Amino acid sequence: QAFYKLHAISLDSTMGKDAARAEWDNPMQFVLACVSYAVGLGNVWRFPYLCQMHGGGGFLIPYLLMLVLLGVPLFYMELAIGQKMRLGSIGAWRAINPYLGGVGLASVVTSMYLCLYYNVINAWSFWYLFHSFQSVLPWAECPVNSNLTGHVEECERATPTQYFFYRETLDISGSIEENGGIHMGQALCLLLAWMIVYLFIVKGVKSTGKVVYFTATFPYLVLIIYLIRGVTLHGAINGVKYMFTPKMEQLANPTTWINAATQIFFSLGLGFGSLIAFASYNQYNNNFEKQAIVVSMVNSSTSIFASIVTFSIYGFKATFNYESCLERVRLLLLNTFDLAEDTISLENVIHWIAELNRTHPEQFASLGGRLETCDLEAELDTAVEGTGLAFIVYSEAIKNMPVSQLWSVLYFIMLLLLGMGSMLGNVIAVITPLSDLKFISRYMSTKTLNGLVCLFCLLLGLGFTTHSGNYWFTMFNDYGATFSLLFIVLIEVITVCYIYGIKRFEKDVEDMLGHRLNCYWKIMLAGVSPILLIALFIFYIVNYIQGGTPTYQAWNKELGKSVVTEYPPYAQAFIGLLLASSVCCIPLTALYTYCKKRNLASGKRERTVSTVSA
Amino acid sequence: MLVWILFLLCQVGAPALAQDLCQRDAPNGYKVRISLKTALGEDAYEWNQSEMFFFQATMAFAMRRHFQMETYNVDNIILCVQTSRVSFWFVVTSPDNTTMLIPKADVEKAVRMSRHRINNAFLLSDRTLEFLGIYPTLAAPVNPDTPPWLIVFGVVIGAVCAGIIALLVSSLLQKRRKEKGMTEDGQDEEDMQVKGVENGINLDGTYNRGFTDDDRFTKL
Repeated sequence: QAFYKLHAISLDSTMGKDAARAEWDNPMQFVLACVSYAVGLGNVWRFPYLCQMHGGGGFLIPYLLMLVLLGVPLFYMELAIGQKMRLGSIGAWRAINPYLGGVGLASVVTSMYLCLYYNVINAWSFWYLFHSFQSVLPWAECPVNSNLTGHVEECERATPTQYFFYRETLDISGSIEENGGIHMGQALCLLLAWMIVYLFIVKGVKSTGKVVYFTATFPYLVLIIYLIRGVTLHGAINGVKYMFTPKMEQLANPTTWINAATQIFFSLGLGFGSLIAFASYNQYNNNFEKQAIVVSMVNSSTSIFASIVTFSIYGFKATFNYESCLERVRLLLLNTFDLAEDTISLENVIHWIAELNRTHPEQFASLGGRLETCDLEAELDTAVEGTGLAFIVYSEAIKNMPVSQLWSVLYFIMLLLLGMGSMLGNVIAVITPLSDLKFISRYMSTKTLNGLVCLFCLLLGLGFTTHSGNYWFTMFNDYGATFSLLFIVLIEVITVCYIYGIKRFEKDVEDMLGHRLNCYWKIMLAGVSPILLIALFIFYIVNYIQGGTPTYQAWNKELGKSVVTEYPPYAQAFIGLLLASSVCCIPLTALYTYCKKRNLASGKRERTVSTVSA
Repeated sequence: MLVWILFLLCQVGAPALAQDLCQRDAPNGYKVRISLKTALGEDAYEWNQSEMFFFQATMAFAMRRHFQMETYNVDNIILCVQTSRVSFWFVVTSPDNTTMLIPKADVEKAVRMSRHRINNAFLLSDRTLEFLGIYPTLAAPVNPDTPPWLIVFGVVIGAVCAGIIALLVSSLLQKRRKEKGMTEDGQDEEDMQVKGVENGINLDGTYNRGFTDDDRFTKL
């Protein structure tokens, strides 16, 4: 015991910490911070999509299984490391093994990339929020063209919601090569987003601890309100039924299991260093075991809850579109055959189509391509994920609700809170290790450091507000964090279990919690999780190689829809740089530490020789 | 006798002539489509001959309003091809010469000018009283001086700025107050380090008297 305490004291002096590290006011703040970080936009827009893609209710089986096998043990491990080492990711991993301090550095680099592009989503949420304060929502109708004869062409070919997102919000260019200038409105919203992040973290965990009470709980209030609104909408039941109908044959598809694993992985925010940073501000004897289980359960149940809301709204939108389609067909039939208005109703449109085809075949044939086929299943099948779901599909559903301004404001406030909560974790993951470094904490206070980091991220983030900014955003989103995280967490697990040793880890945990490590944790951490992670890692590499040239969706204004385009060579090189820059930190730091140790050792030998000779 | 035959012919011929002038796809005629049930639902009135007469009167009014000199009458508006959809075709004849039709373009101008009055006469709108071929002019967009979103943005960013400044100033004041308090109380910081406060936890030990230096009194 005494040996351990001396070891800890020497660690503190090398790290240059103050006598008292900042702490959460109570364990509840820590739990809420973790919940606020883990429950983010992915719960709202990625999980419902995966659920729909992989067989509805049946997807819950691989999802919950991966939660138990992969999610909770790794979450537990990160909290344990943070709470034990009481340092950010760089310091913590350096303390575990000096050669593997690069793991912490890789986490910081990945978190930095995430910080850069994630706040752009918050900027878009602000833009939509501010535009909701109008009598007619701007994405409800197409704007009229200059000579007032009709609507703007691009809007006619696409839909008003798509036009508002691609043209008025982003003012997107045709491809990643056409840069254009900065969209001033977006830049202003990004500035606001970063100022709010700064406001939340300016006093360190003291201010963050108070903010998370709000950012963690208010989204649930909005989700409940939306659930009540959602299930009472006309046609919502179609969406919910569609989502929950289990298609068990999807379980045989390996992609289902892979997607379940990656969803758990990214949803909990493992590997970014945020969890280590949060836990480093805990009391030494905080019971993180119970908290790890609680936060993981809360995160997964929020995903399921959010997908019920999403699908009830989805069902409403699909039913609305289907009935609008039927109405258009009904009008077309009435006008072409000059029948009285009340002969065809929405219910018997299909029957009348067959009837009229039989009785007036030539006239029916003259309708030609104008007769649409209305299919509810096809409407529900248009699965969308990511920013498309949140900003295009949802806003389309909202514009058709009564009192749409209220629902719009509520929805975008919820998106903002979810996004801001996750941003807090991202920024703290970068700031905590930096403020632990001796040479930084000596020269500037935490407030100045926080301000500089926010300013730096804001200036770089302005690149995402240019006309081609959305394409760079997609690139960062798809490649910036996915592959490197898998690698980082794999190294983390192997380090803790095999290099640091599961026995030492067990002793540390017993020291903190007061009871021994349960065999569940031991089996999962030492056995199951590494195997699953290696399998995921291999799958990613194989998928990437098989995928050929990476492509992206470019918005074509003439056609009014997205077309698949290949990345130009310099963009592909940039993708490679993104992947390599975080992954390389690990071997490079190991090499650097090895060289430094060898120099030190040879230097010491020289000195001892000189004293003996003297 | 001849006059009487001519008169009879005119009586028969006129409507026949009128029929020739007004027909489906007439070059100078327009098709009108009325959707009463869509517009008024339960309160829809019945479309009958009186309503047709009303339409003729409204169109005559529209023509008079456009061509201020000419006196159009109900007889100058000829209707035909009525269907149960409630749609029909109409043509407009000149008041001076009932065989001459007013060209399509002029009729269109007249309709556009009085469209709002015509709609209101029938309690309908541009969408439910359609003149096929005459597209309604869309309402001009209202462009306020400051876009409304900028106003909300200004309010929010002002509040955030105020919050940041308040927090920074309050912490600065707190630090200054603590510094003033520190010089009065003495070296609190050093005491804490000596007492072994590590990681914010006081390592409270008990004072072991076995190591006190009281040997000096027992030296030989």
